[in-house]
Amino acid sequence: MKLPFKVNNKSKELEILPNETLLHVLRNNNFTEVKCGCNEGECGSCTVLLDGKPVNSCQVLAMSVQEKEITTVKGIGTLYTPHLLQKSFVEAGADQCGFCSPGMVLASYSLLKENPKPTREEILVALDGNLCRCTGYVKIVDAVEMTAQKLQTNNLEME
Amino acid sequence: MFKYVNQPIEKIDGLALVTGEEKYTDDFSFNNMLYVSVMHSGYAYAKIIDIDDSEARKMHGVVEILSYKNVNQILYTTAGQGYPEPSPYDTILFGKTMRFVGDNVCAVAAESKEIADEALKKIKVTYKELKPILNLKKSEGSSIIIHKDDGAFPKIPVFYDAKKNIASKVEANVGDFDSAFKKSSRKIELDFYCSYGSHCAIEPHASVSYLDVRGRLVIISTTQVPFHVRRIVSHVAEIPVSKIRVIKPRLGGGFGGKQEILLEPIVALMTWRTKRPAKLVYSRREVFKSTRCRHEYQTKVSVGYEADGKINALHLDALENAGGYGSHALTVLANAGSKTLPLLNKIENLRFTGMGVYTNLPVGGAYRGYGATESYPAYAQAIDMVCEDCGLDIVEYYKKWCIKSGETSAIFQALGEGKEGVAMTIGSTSLVECLDEGAKLSDWYEKIKLYGPNSDFNKGKRLKRGIGMVAMMQGSAIPEIDMASAYIKMNDDGSFNLNVGATDLGTGSDTVLAQIASEVLDTPVESFIVYSSDTDFTPFDTGAYASSTTYLSGQAVRKCAEEIKKQILKVGAEMLSLSIDEVESNDSRVTAKENIKEEVSFAEICQYSLYQKNQFQIQATASHISPKSPPPFAVHFIEIEVDTFTGIIKVLNYTATVDCGTPINPVTAEGQVEGAIVNGLSYALFENYYFSPHGKMLNDTFGKYGVYTAFDIPPMKVKLIKSYEETGPYGAKSISEININGALPGIANAFYNATGKRLHSGPFAPEYVLTVLSAK
Amino acid sequence: MLHQNLEWFFPHKVEEAVKLIEQQGVILHGGGTRILKTSPKSIKGLVDVGKLNLNYIHHIDNHFSIGSASTYADVIRYSKKTGKLSMLARALSEAASTPLRNRITIGGSLKDFPIWSSLYAPLLALNAQIEIEDKHDKIISLEEYLETGIIKTKHLIKRIIVDDIPNIIDGVKRFALIRFEYPLFTLAVVIQAKQKTVSEARIFITGVKGRHKHCKRAEHFLIGKDLNDENIQHAEKHFAPKFVSDYKYSAEYKEHTAKVFFTDLLHELKGTLK
Repeated sequence: MKLPFKVNNKSKELEILPNETLLHVLRNNNFTEVKCGCNEGECGSCTVLLDGKPVNSCQVLAMSVQEKEITTVKGIGTLYTPHLLQKSFVEAGADQCGFCSPGMVLASYSLLKENPKPTREEILVALDGNLCRCTGYVKIVDAVEMTAQKLQTNNLEME
Repeated sequence: MFKYVNQPIEKIDGLALVTGEEKYTDDFSFNNMLYVSVMHSGYAYAKIIDIDDSEARKMHGVVEILSYKNVNQILYTTAGQGYPEPSPYDTILFGKTMRFVGDNVCAVAAESKEIADEALKKIKVTYKELKPILNLKKSEGSSIIIHKDDGAFPKIPVFYDAKKNIASKVEANVGDFDSAFKKSSRKIELDFYCSYGSHCAIEPHASVSYLDVRGRLVIISTTQVPFHVRRIVSHVAEIPVSKIRVIKPRLGGGFGGKQEILLEPIVALMTWRTKRPAKLVYSRREVFKSTRCRHEYQTKVSVGYEADGKINALHLDALENAGGYGSHALTVLANAGSKTLPLLNKIENLRFTGMGVYTNLPVGGAYRGYGATESYPAYAQAIDMVCEDCGLDIVEYYKKWCIKSGETSAIFQALGEGKEGVAMTIGSTSLVECLDEGAKLSDWYEKIKLYGPNSDFNKGKRLKRGIGMVAMMQGSAIPEIDMASAYIKMNDDGSFNLNVGATDLGTGSDTVLAQIASEVLDTPVESFIVYSSDTDFTPFDTGAYASSTTYLSGQAVRKCAEEIKKQILKVGAEMLSLSIDEVESNDSRVTAKENIKEEVSFAEICQYSLYQKNQFQIQATASHISPKSPPPFAVHFIEIEVDTFTGIIKVLNYTATVDCGTPINPVTAEGQVEGAIVNGLSYALFENYYFSPHGKMLNDTFGKYGVYTAFDIPPMKVKLIKSYEETGPYGAKSISEININGALPGIANAFYNATGKRLHSGPFAPEYVLTVLSAK
Repeated sequence: MLHQNLEWFFPHKVEEAVKLIEQQGVILHGGGTRILKTSPKSIKGLVDVGKLNLNYIHHIDNHFSIGSASTYADVIRYSKKTGKLSMLARALSEAASTPLRNRITIGGSLKDFPIWSSLYAPLLALNAQIEIEDKHDKIISLEEYLETGIIKTKHLIKRIIVDDIPNIIDGVKRFALIRFEYPLFTLAVVIQAKQKTVSEARIFITGVKGRHKHCKRAEHFLIGKDLNDENIQHAEKHFAPKFVSDYKYSAEYKEHTAKVFFTDLLHELKGTLK
């Protein structure tokens, strides 16, 4: 069946079965930027924002979030109009294989939106659901700090 | 000074990665595609008596089922190595004997994944259960034989004895260990156990295949070795190489785990038989259980030395658990010796003995570190013990005894990969600087004075602190065996296509290779359209393993770019009516040496060569094999705190100094170091495979296996200390593997410094640590 | 895998929801994390609690009322804002991970009680009550909920009630080597003290044999005594939870470490005594 969802600020009719996870529905409807690393809520590759808060889309039954705002990584910035945060990820070298990146970016985005001047500890907590095996996390944390710094220096609001 | 090399250039795929634009294997879907599910053995050792798939075949939506009944029993190795592979041919895609929990039983292709999974449940398999070997120490010469009458054989002339469960055996002798050991006034022996470990690349293994418009088979796969995939699929699925194209799209991490040919032959056969696209994506549990892992190792080191610290004789012995099949069993074993023993090259009598045995446990394979991770804990603890015993500072000790520029080690020649090694003299090294700088960055001398088991700092305390260090080497590519090649052509606007067989696993090698080409041609990285890892459109490359891409593929790119440069200069000179000696390339132009204002741009040159006069395509290809495998060096200093009540080890500070020659891209190079350190740390402290009494892995999820999050990482200091390797591109050596090897020995040495006790078994999980602490 | 013909219900009233779950194979859906962990085919219908208005945290008179559809993150956020419910928030902030904490509901966690739960020990130590609705609406203590087996019946948890007792000192500790791991055990201690003397104590540990343990012997020992080093040392002898060995840790190790954590926690609490 097709049901309406709100994805990346647009209303979309998505093909869905009642037993499907949000991850499944999104990937089946061409939102392949949402990755599947474990399907058990343990890696964070499938992170999307639900009303601005990160969740593991593999642990969410799609039927239960029809009325919520769903944001994938493309919802905060695209290749052509990348978000400051995404640019910082590249600048800091937080992008190795990139498989965890959509989830990492979204978790970081949600944090900075709520708390544009996070402490290091707050960053680490915010990223505790997103596994990365490539970077050792150093440059990912750098990227978040770099973004917060840029926001502050340029007196910008997190958009 | 360099312009594009040794610069922190942003990854060329970076923005596409962080905006979710890039495609990974599972992101490719095709019309009319079949979904494949594989049944894996629940038994560690069993014979299949019969498979009855009649019920499954009746199911609506089931299209094809593969099992021993309809798949030819072709022996091969899943190890994606050069041909002929040094790993034994002991594997059958769908055989009749199950040799570990996770072995392939059969596979279903259906209209949906759900139907395929349902169909698996309807397939009745009758097994005859056999008594398994679940202990590596009980395998050699056991009455239980794991490869019995299956025809398993070595593809190259090496020792192999399946009747005794021996998958591989290596021995190397330099000097006379026995008599030198006997004569030594002091002796130590230390054994060390290394556990299983999983790569945990966040992207699970996946393959998709389809037939193109001319009936050729296209395989998109999560592979580090596209050309080996093509060759091995051809062999296993009996499809000519000319009919196969293998593409590696973006890859979500490899670390050696995707150097195996596992899923590709399955989708290949499904597509070849049904003429329909087929996709197979492993679940995380399947990745843990059924793919490959770090070999389990029992090592032992014996050292004979004198009171002044001079080591007369050193013997390293390694017993390796190959698991059910011998993938990489020989080469990982050889590397356990060849990547450690040359480090202190002044030891005159060296011995390495190693044996890989079959068991009915998961299959080992390539994993970052590749034998060195398994042998350094014993080796480096032994050096620490010698220094401790002789009252020597270990940093100074390494400085004195380590291999230097212009020196060699007989081990280089004695230990190769399945054949004799290659004699080699060390060119570049900044190991001594790494030792000094690391000591400084980690406050080694202050801390070693402060800590110690009997120090005021630690005595009578529950929380004890210690600092430990380890010096290491690895290699860069496999000398005289691995080959890489590159192709470049020039386009109208002065841009270039750079096509490489090299495989970017996420390391950033596409960017690094473009930087090398940029440096040669003096034109920005953005001028290169990099296309990699497609067997139809890129020239051959052995693939991303053995720390080879920057060093080996990079040199192929450099050679190729130099050839392009010659052609550009020739055309440029012609256009300027000058001789080739009178021009030079200069910031995307060719200029007269005498008068920089006499210039033609790269765009003009290409347009001239394509459209105007003496037309030809400016293009070149180049191949490279390396006569040597120059080691990168690294020194790690680790400071820990041991909770002697709970056995929990906390890492307080981690300092790494690394010699990778010229870091082509310092940011991505640092990323390699940091990632390897964190992986090494979690392997040292808790990563392990836990098995049921029947050989079934119990902790087969990320949550149960345990992977560090950002929250868990200790403070790290990483410093790259340059050297210049003449045989590498712009002085580069490798960096990817070496830094995973430091955590186990470094923590073990720090633990001794804190508590006065030696650790003998990884991982250093709290209960084990407590046992060590409470032992008399 | 859940069944393809799964039926969804989105009731607006608790009574309707309760009626719906009386049917065979119909269960409540909060965040869904637990359902997806097991995904039993036997589930025929899911009753989503999203429209029942059970997502709230109120501080009324002398107690907190936490709606069962509140997520872990909701509780943590509330605590950060108000400075209240800090022990509970601390326990929950270490549980699972950020994206899961945004989804896991308090009600769902109480109903399912996985062995690694970080929620139960602090709530039990706080002597929390829960309001449940089955055929009747009733308020019972969380301990009773477990002891009497009500947890196994079909019902809907409406809210959790935690008394706001002034001057308590409390602490929680869990054993996990790394951030994202199933903890071996979670230990929570709540103490009321007059000067240095313990007047009330509630000590609970989860992850033990039989899931949870009310450590009454240790409580009895502590009540009436000063919280000093000597008594803490003695208290440890009265704290002896039993564990089951698993593939990673032996029961003995867990028992040993639980004792270490217990004394550590008492020492920490001693430090906060005024």
